[in-house]
Amino acid sequence: MSSPIIIACLKWVAHPGEPHDERFAGASPADRAALELALQQAKELGGTVTAVTVGPPATETVLRDAVAAGADRAVRVDGPAAMLSSDVAAGIAGVAEGAAWVWCGDYSLDRGTGSVPAFLAAALGAQQALGVIDVQFAAPGPAARVTRRLDGGRREVLDVTGPAVVSVEGAVADLRRAGLGALRVATSASIDVVPLRSPARRLKAVVQPYRPRAMALAAPDGSPLERLRLLTDAAAATAARGETVTLAPPDAAARIVAALRGWGYLDS
Amino acid sequence: MSDTARGGMLEPHAWGGLSFQERMATAEFRIHHTPHIVVDGRVCADCSTRECVVACPAALFVPTAEGGIVFNHEQCFECGTCYLVCNREGAITWSYPEGGHGVVFRRT
Amino acid sequence: MTDVDVIVVGGGPAGSCAAITAARAGLDVVLIERGPFPGSKNMYGGVVYPRILDGLIPNWWEEAPVQRWVTRRSTMLLTPTQALTVDFRSQAWGAPPYNGATAYRPDWDHWLAGHAEAAGAQLITSTVVTGLLRAPSGAVTGVRTDRPDGDLTAKVVIACDGVNSFLAKEAGLYEHTDAKHFTLGVKETLALPKEVIDERFAVRDNHGVDIEILGGTGGVNGGGFLYTNLETLAIGVVLKLTKLGAQKARPEEIIAGLKRHPAIAPLVQDGELKEYSAHVIPEAGLTMMPKMIADGLLVAGDAAALCLAAGIWLEGVNFAMASGMYAGEAAAEAVRAGDLTAVGLAGYQRRLSDTFVLKDHRRLKRAPELVLSDRVQHLYPQMIANVAERMFRVDNPDPKPGLRRILAQERKRAGVRRRDLARDGWIGFRSFG
Repeated sequence: MSSPIIIACLKWVAHPGEPHDERFAGASPADRAALELALQQAKELGGTVTAVTVGPPATETVLRDAVAAGADRAVRVDGPAAMLSSDVAAGIAGVAEGAAWVWCGDYSLDRGTGSVPAFLAAALGAQQALGVIDVQFAAPGPAARVTRRLDGGRREVLDVTGPAVVSVEGAVADLRRAGLGALRVATSASIDVVPLRSPARRLKAVVQPYRPRAMALAAPDGSPLERLRLLTDAAAATAARGETVTLAPPDAAARIVAALRGWGYLDS
Repeated sequence: MSDTARGGMLEPHAWGGLSFQERMATAEFRIHHTPHIVVDGRVCADCSTRECVVACPAALFVPTAEGGIVFNHEQCFECGTCYLVCNREGAITWSYPEGGHGVVFRRT
Repeated sequence: MTDVDVIVVGGGPAGSCAAITAARAGLDVVLIERGPFPGSKNMYGGVVYPRILDGLIPNWWEEAPVQRWVTRRSTMLLTPTQALTVDFRSQAWGAPPYNGATAYRPDWDHWLAGHAEAAGAQLITSTVVTGLLRAPSGAVTGVRTDRPDGDLTAKVVIACDGVNSFLAKEAGLYEHTDAKHFTLGVKETLALPKEVIDERFAVRDNHGVDIEILGGTGGVNGGGFLYTNLETLAIGVVLKLTKLGAQKARPEEIIAGLKRHPAIAPLVQDGELKEYSAHVIPEAGLTMMPKMIADGLLVAGDAAALCLAAGIWLEGVNFAMASGMYAGEAAAEAVRAGDLTAVGLAGYQRRLSDTFVLKDHRRLKRAPELVLSDRVQHLYPQMIANVAERMFRVDNPDPKPGLRRILAQERKRAGVRRRDLARDGWIGFRSFG
């Protein structure tokens, strides 16, 4: 079996604070973390890392940085600067087919939708673990144990085996510092340019927007004035929810806690 | 210690309606986790002039109630004022932050 | 065999010009910058005099990232309640080949570094040079950086690493570093609409104003400046380091004081703070200059203290660009001749000595000390402003007094001894005359 190919997806994008200034453009910390994990995993598995970006020639900056950091190959999928996430994913999928693993950042510098990894997993028919905040490589073997952040501060731990698409947050890993020699060579490294592949299954253009069926709704009880007073709550709710008091700090704190408890925001 | 030496403690009007924190927030700092300047508070303990506290344009040197000095490297302009005015050998170990980190000027 | 011919440390004006001349001479050049892009660490008052670029980048004014062309120069003397201004304007400075310009250093330095790359130099950013590589003889043979596998060897290293130049110090070129030779520059970039700036400073189009200020820095010796960018103002102060600590005055408070001065406040009113910045300036000129040549090493720009702070003249970037240019030429000369010792690199010293770079500094060698002296800082402004006030004040029914009498009275009132005034006048005349 040939050595596994590990993909790191990088997006070169203008800084939202300086949108017209290339000096401030680059890859997000999350993308950089993805590249670092790709490099670490390649070492674990004895594989090679391919750095991929989609965009015009100016975006090759991130690929050269990736090569300087240790990526074995750099591919730019030629495309315009702004594209649909599904089209970006389709472009990357053309390069990532057959890859053992695909690492993405959870967000780009311009804080887009973060949906490319999901589209990419769908396009590749691969497993996905998105929004990962911790990665442990389970040596030996092709698996990684990852922790996802869920709503409400909950966590989910998954054992992922490739082929898989994993998107990571920026704090997961610090991209290693490129060596001076590697950096100098990378400025003239060759970058493969491949044409953009159109997505295999494009959503049909919507010709008739969704409209819910008409439904008969009964009129509410009571007089309109009564309902209006209930909704705008001239009397009852203010008494229950708000009051202004002057208290010493300890007493004020105690009162706030008591009120919160009374409203059911605190347990017990 | 005079009021003027306390950096951020002055009333905002002293700087034309801006707090010192707001002033510093106008500059970009790409912070590295390793401090590039290290202050040895033991050496500072018997220093009476404490020129760094007054001179640092970012007000990063803050005297403590215990008589030492605490230093925060995060909003450093990397100008060199502190080690130049310091008259205590070994109090300030000064270097630049790792390449690509530290202050990034835009309209200077 | 070395990795490259020339390593230039620092992508400021000195470094980029050194890289341009060395690369154009056919050498393999690496330009190392510690910031994420050239200019990102650099700050100055705000005016550059690029005449020296005429030979290096013909018609540079057609492409340089300039804010405004300086067509109006004022020198202002401030006391707490008075202001005396000498104001000059020339329309000639608003047309090619121009004279001075306001510009942002992150733009200017980035642009110059682009020319270094176009000339064939390799620009490496985000990399700190942490030390020199030396041969057993002591000759410099390369640099050590903060990157893994970070050593790089070269035939010549050109240190353009700025005012703190740890490389020049490591090479032993500075005898000692003394705080009294440095000033701290702090400034505010204030946003105002272009039309407001045009109106307040009486300029049109992309013409701008350069105001140098003596006084207005409270008890701390120094000076102030106010420059117009296209849609911002640069206002700041230059403060003697040793006085700052002694006076217990905070830099930002001194700027605030200057901004409140009745002659300045209407000019800067409502300006929104866009950026606060600070940098140290090598102020003492010839007095503090290091040796600029060692075996395998040249030093240029602020690293060599090539900064002219002589009151009415505040220049640095032009000295940096010129010295860098000459260092690159001298390095190429030495590499061609195969003599990398200080003797082989002596062409650098010759170029500096034969041009304004050292001629200006020799002529003005006593000016920085005079300008920052206590008398010039604290006594003369009051005396001169009082003389002006008496000259223009109408004291009817008293008759107008003669200038000589006013001078004598105000000198006495200010507590200036005739002997000191004569001596300072003589130094000033020798320097500026």
